[in-house]
Amino acid sequence: MNDMLEAFRLVAAADVVLAILASAIYGLVVGSLPGLSATMATALLVPVTFYLSPIAAVATIITASAMAIFSGDIPGCLLRIPGTPASAAYTDEAYAMTRRGQAEVALGAGLWFSAIGGIVGTLSLVLMAPLLAEMALSFSTYEYFWLAFLGLMCATLVARSSPVKAIASMLLGLLIACIGMENPAGTPRFTFGVTNLLGGIEPIPALVGVFAVSEVMRAMVTPEPPKLPRRKFGSILAGQWALTKKYQWPMWRGNIIGIIIGVLPGAGADMAAWVSYAMSKKFSKEPEKVGTGHPEGLVEAGASNNASLASGWVPALLFGIPGDTITAIAIGVLYMKGLNPGPTLFTERASSMYALYLIFIIANIIMIPLGIVMIRLASLVLRAPRSAVMPAIILLCAVGSYATGANLFSVVMVAAFGVLGFVMERNGYPVAALVLGIIMGSMVEQNFITSLIKSDGDVLPFIERPVSAVLAALTFGALLWPVGAWLLGRVQAGRLRAAAAPR
Amino acid sequence: MQLSDRVTGAFLVVLGGAAALSGSRLPAVPGQDVGPAAFPMLIGGGLVLCGVLIAFGIGHNFEVTEEAEEDTAPSGGWFRRLAGLRALVPPALLLFYVFAVDLLGFLPTAALIVFTAAMALGARPRLAVPIAILAPALVHLVFYKLLRVPLPAGLLPAPW
Repeated sequence: MNDMLEAFRLVAAADVVLAILASAIYGLVVGSLPGLSATMATALLVPVTFYLSPIAAVATIITASAMAIFSGDIPGCLLRIPGTPASAAYTDEAYAMTRRGQAEVALGAGLWFSAIGGIVGTLSLVLMAPLLAEMALSFSTYEYFWLAFLGLMCATLVARSSPVKAIASMLLGLLIACIGMENPAGTPRFTFGVTNLLGGIEPIPALVGVFAVSEVMRAMVTPEPPKLPRRKFGSILAGQWALTKKYQWPMWRGNIIGIIIGVLPGAGADMAAWVSYAMSKKFSKEPEKVGTGHPEGLVEAGASNNASLASGWVPALLFGIPGDTITAIAIGVLYMKGLNPGPTLFTERASSMYALYLIFIIANIIMIPLGIVMIRLASLVLRAPRSAVMPAIILLCAVGSYATGANLFSVVMVAAFGVLGFVMERNGYPVAALVLGIIMGSMVEQNFITSLIKSDGDVLPFIERPVSAVLAALTFGALLWPVGAWLLGRVQAGRLRAAAAPR
Repeated sequence: MQLSDRVTGAFLVVLGGAAALSGSRLPAVPGQDVGPAAFPMLIGGGLVLCGVLIAFGIGHNFEVTEEAEEDTAPSGGWFRRLAGLRALVPPALLLFYVFAVDLLGFLPTAALIVFTAAMALGARPRLAVPIAILAPALVHLVFYKLLRVPLPAGLLPAPW
C-alpha cells in the first residue's frame, strides 16, 4: 500500500505531469503525420529523456507511443494514408467509412477502442508481470538464450514480407551487433581499425537512422500526400457506446490477441493490427460488409494494436527483451535511468512499477479528450507542408544523436543507417527485424556463449530444463511456420487446380 | 534503389562469407573452446544460406508488392536518374553537418541544412527561408538552453 501511495506521489510530480502532457501532444502530432511513425517519434524522444527524471522519462515514452498509435488512424481514415504502420491494416476500411460519410464514426471508433485496448492491455501487464516475475527468477542462461532467440524469430514473422528476407535482416542486425569489443574475449571485432567502433554500434543512432532518416529519404522520392480539405466534424464519440455493445465480442477478441502478440517478444502493434483485422474478417457475422466501410474490423484491430503496446512491456520489464521496436527503445531508457529490467524490478522498485502502470492508465484516459481535439485540428496539422516538416526532422536527427554522447561519429552512423534502412525497405527486407537484431545481439551472444561454456560444448543442456525445452520448441515453431504455411498453400492450390481441371 | 533479389542475395552471400572467414581468425579465449569467433561464424553461415535462398527466389511469394508510388519526375533519361539521387540528400546533409558544424557553428550549418532539404523537397524560397531561420533557432534553444547539449557556437554565436 505504501508503494502505491509513493507511486501516486511520483506521478503527481510537476515534471512528470508536464512530461505526460507535452509528450501526449507530441505523440498525437507526429503519429498523425504520414511517414512519421510511432517508433520514430519514440526514437527522437530518447535524447530528451536523458535530461529528465526516471519516471518522467518513462512517462514520455509511454504517452507518446500510445498517442502516436492512435493518431496514426487519423490520416488513414481521412486520406487513406496510414500515419503509422500499425494503422495500415484497416486503413482501407476506415477510408471506405469516410467516403460513406461516416468519418466521425470511424475516427471515434479509432479513438474509443484505442483507449479501451490500452487500458485492457495495461491491466494484463499489471496481472501478468508479477506472476511471470516469480518464474523469471529461476531462469538461467539457457532460458534467456531461447527467449531472446524466440523474440528474434517472432520479429521475422511480420506479415507481408518474405520470411527468408526477414531472417536475413535479423542476421544482419546480429552481425552489426558483433562490432566492437563487447565479446567473450574482449578483442576488437570487425572494427576495421576505427576507434569509434570499439565501443560497438549504439542502438540510438541506428534506430534514428533506420526509422527517421530513411523516411526523409523516402519523402524525397515520393510525391507529397494530398492536402486534406477543411471539414467540420460532428460529435466524435456519439454512437461509440452502441458500437461497444454491438461488437463486444470482437472487441474482446482484439484485446486478447493484442495482448498475446504484445507479450511475444519481437512482435508488436503492426502485427497485432494485421492479425486482428484478419480475424475479424474471418469471424464476422456480416462478412459481405467487410471492406465496404464496416466498423467491426476497426473495433477489433484498433483495440488490438493499443493493447499490444502495453503488454509489449511485459518481456521488456521482466527480461530486458523488447516486445516490439518501441519497447526496444524503452529498454535503453530504462537502463539509462537505473531501472534495469529484470524480475527484481518488481520487488525492489515496486513503487516505480506502480507509477508506470498509473502512467499507462492516465495516458489512455487523457487520450480521449486530447484525441478529440486532435481530430478537430487534424485538417490544420495535416496541412503542414512536408517540405517544412522533413527538414526539421533531419536537423533533429543530427542534434538528437549528437546529444546522446556528444560525439559527431554518431551523426555519421545515423546517415549510414539511414541509407541502409532505405535500401533494405526498397527491396523488401523488413527493418524492424534488423533493429531487433542490433539491439538483442549482445544479449543473444552472451547467453549463447555462456551456456556453451557451461555445458562444455554440449547442446543437450539447452533443451533439458522444462522451460527451456518449451521455449526451444516455440522458437523452432516460429522458424518452421513459413515452411508449413507455404506447404499448406501448395496443397490447397493443388487441390483447387485438380478441382478446376476438366474431368 | 530497387535491386533484384539476385543482387541482394549475392551481396548477402559475400557478406556472410566474409564475416565467417574473418570471424574464424579472431583470437580464442585461452583454455576455452568457444570464444568470440563462434557467433560471427554462425551468423555468417546463416547469411550465406539466406542469401542463396533469396537469390533463387524462395519465399518471394510471401511478399506483398506495394503499389508503385514513385515516378514523380517526368520520365526520360538523365532527369529521372537525377531525381532518384535526391534520396541521397538527407544522408549527405548529415555528413555535411559532421564536417561543418565545428567550423561554421551550429546555427549557420543548421540553417543551410534545413534550407537545402526544404528546397530539395520542392518548397518555394518563400517557405524555405523562414523555416531555415526559425527551425535552427528553436532547436538550439531547446537543446542548448533546456537540455544543455554543447552545440558549437562557431561563427555565429546565439544571442541567448
